[in-house]
Amino acid sequence: MTTKTDFLNGNVACAEGAIAAGCRFFAGYPITPSTEIAERMAARLPKIGGTFVQMEDELGSVAAIIGGSWAGARTMTATSGPGFSLMMENIGYAAMTETPIVIVNVQRGGPSTGQPTKAAQGDMLQCRYGSHGDYSIIALSPSSVQEMFDLTVKAFNLADRFRTPVFLMTDETIGHMREKVNLHSDVEIIPRRELKEGELPCAPDENGVPGFATFGNGHNIHITGLTHGENGYPSTDSAEVHEHLVRRQVRKIEDFRNEITDVDVINPDAELVFISYGAPTRTVRQLMADVPDIYGHLNLRIVWPFPDESLLAFRNAKAFIIPEMNLGQIAKEVRQYTNVPIVIVPKLGGALHTPEELKKAVEVAKTVTKPVTEVCL
Amino acid sequence: MNLEDWYRQDRLPHIYCPGCGNGTVLNCTLRAVQELGFKQEETTFISGIGCSSRASGYTSSDSLHTTHGRALAFATGVKLVKPHQHVLVFTGDGDCSAIGGNHFIHACRRNIDLTVVCINNSIYGMTGGQGSPCTPYGAITTTTPYGMHEQPFDLCKLADAAGANYVARWTSFHVKELTEAIRVGFEVQGLSFIEVMTQCPTSFGSKNKMRLATQMIDMFRENAVLKVKADRDAAAGKSLEPGKFIVGEFVRRHNPPLGVEESK
Amino acid sequence: MKLVINDHRCKGCNMCTMVCPYDIFQEGTRPGARGYIIPVLDHPERCTNCRLQKFYGRQLCGMCQTICPDQAISWVDEKPFEPHKVVIEY
Repeated sequence: MTTKTDFLNGNVACAEGAIAAGCRFFAGYPITPSTEIAERMAARLPKIGGTFVQMEDELGSVAAIIGGSWAGARTMTATSGPGFSLMMENIGYAAMTETPIVIVNVQRGGPSTGQPTKAAQGDMLQCRYGSHGDYSIIALSPSSVQEMFDLTVKAFNLADRFRTPVFLMTDETIGHMREKVNLHSDVEIIPRRELKEGELPCAPDENGVPGFATFGNGHNIHITGLTHGENGYPSTDSAEVHEHLVRRQVRKIEDFRNEITDVDVINPDAELVFISYGAPTRTVRQLMADVPDIYGHLNLRIVWPFPDESLLAFRNAKAFIIPEMNLGQIAKEVRQYTNVPIVIVPKLGGALHTPEELKKAVEVAKTVTKPVTEVCL
Repeated sequence: MNLEDWYRQDRLPHIYCPGCGNGTVLNCTLRAVQELGFKQEETTFISGIGCSSRASGYTSSDSLHTTHGRALAFATGVKLVKPHQHVLVFTGDGDCSAIGGNHFIHACRRNIDLTVVCINNSIYGMTGGQGSPCTPYGAITTTTPYGMHEQPFDLCKLADAAGANYVARWTSFHVKELTEAIRVGFEVQGLSFIEVMTQCPTSFGSKNKMRLATQMIDMFRENAVLKVKADRDAAAGKSLEPGKFIVGEFVRRHNPPLGVEESK
Repeated sequence: MKLVINDHRCKGCNMCTMVCPYDIFQEGTRPGARGYIIPVLDHPERCTNCRLQKFYGRQLCGMCQTICPDQAISWVDEKPFEPHKVVIEY
């Protein structure tokens, strides 16, 4: 394995991670702040036998990458908030047809056009629940440029293993900042399991995931977004078939959520514990370095499915402090799994939290009694 | 492969209404594919949502039944990753020109090597008979109970203007010509757009005094004007009578296509 | 060969009746297996394909089969002692 060290911005590192993971088809639409990913893929893919296409809108982008995935390639697209909202219909289609795709969302201030050049984390609940109906997805959240590279590789492996859309939820700060990054050429690639002869196209194996019937390999299957039986044929009248299908698609990920956990548990005996993901993790790390050994930290690299068992590692926790660049989206999820009081530290407008602001939150957390308290910065 | 092998026999008889033109178009398409001698594993059928788009589920090779209007975008992805695949897209008038209008004009502009069969029954059939952008002026539908007050699209002119390499229109009455047009569509590299005017006796016909399939087929036989005749009339100064439409091959050109492997 | 209409598929639209160049069909009066009134063969001896497919070794005409929306029409070999048989006229 060769490792090239470079000084790149987060978006470019993400594109390089995708290429290292074997992504050979990218369909995208330009949107600030994710355009650098598309531009890097446009420059790199034709030279390595891949294909880049700029589609006419984000709906077309997701449609094209789903089609490309069925033709057998690892595919990716990148967007931000307004484009993400447009993609929801086809994300639901990918979830229903169990198509592995990777979508990078470099979040920016919202709602609507918002602040295109400022960071935010406002799409965290949308990536889990944005499309209609019940389904489950996997979302990762990098907090550094190196993680943009590593987690993109991981995203492709998870997508192929679970046959689901996987989201890389980053933000404008991580996307545009430049840091030293080690670009490994030889990363672990775990490809999708091909459908075997005699197996039904939508019949699950022992992990709940069916084999993948790549187009052109003679499987001759029919793939549809309608509710379908194990042979793939539409079956819109049967309540039993529908319930069985939807529950299996949700369970295939949710049942494994504590197995695919990727978290940092630091200082599990602490009483005041920070829970963070993405850019605010950088501030928490700074605070922990300034004031060592007092606070605990749970850094989530995989945010969805939510790793609830990691919360149990903090046995002495008296308060969970959750800094987010939104009005408390993941805090809602933490609340479901614990009775420990939660202190949310929302910060909008694009700037990262500062260590002083987190210290202010700590002061509030020391005397908190209500289940959820908001710290106004 | 025999013709019967191209049908997904365990899903027949299909769900279409009595007299629906979709069954005819499916027959013509599969005849064209069989005449060309394609192998099952190198042919893919992709469709959107609607009565027209159910056709992909009745073919026995790999098929992708996608979301409303987006079939061309999915097909772009499949074709660019596997340029050797013969990809045919079934779409409808609403699927293609209403919700899918943007993808339609861009697929034509990009000239991606697909064959698009647009089954134009001038109505939204599956949802019960609402007006579509191709419903003729004055026609009655459930959302235009006082007659359609909007002008319809001429899908062939749209495809031509957007840059498709092959554009043709036939009806579900002209089955031999339609089969030939689809065959040529596969042979021509670049986007081939074949519009098929078909009958929907259940939704369109019943509200517009053509309740039987045979009445609508009669209407196509009367009102379809072959392109050669229309060109002769135009040269003589006569314009097309209202209610009539031109059928035939409109465009065949060789602009550079996308999604075709360059010969090394 | 003889033309057979599969009455489990035919939905009585009568397009075959309308397009046959040799007018071999007629609108029927009795329902088929699904309850639709299926057309009957009025002049089967005029069907070009019935008469000459074996002679030419390929399918001829086929307008009815192509236009049939329900894929209900097919041609089969006649059994040895059928009461009505289509023969080639030399």
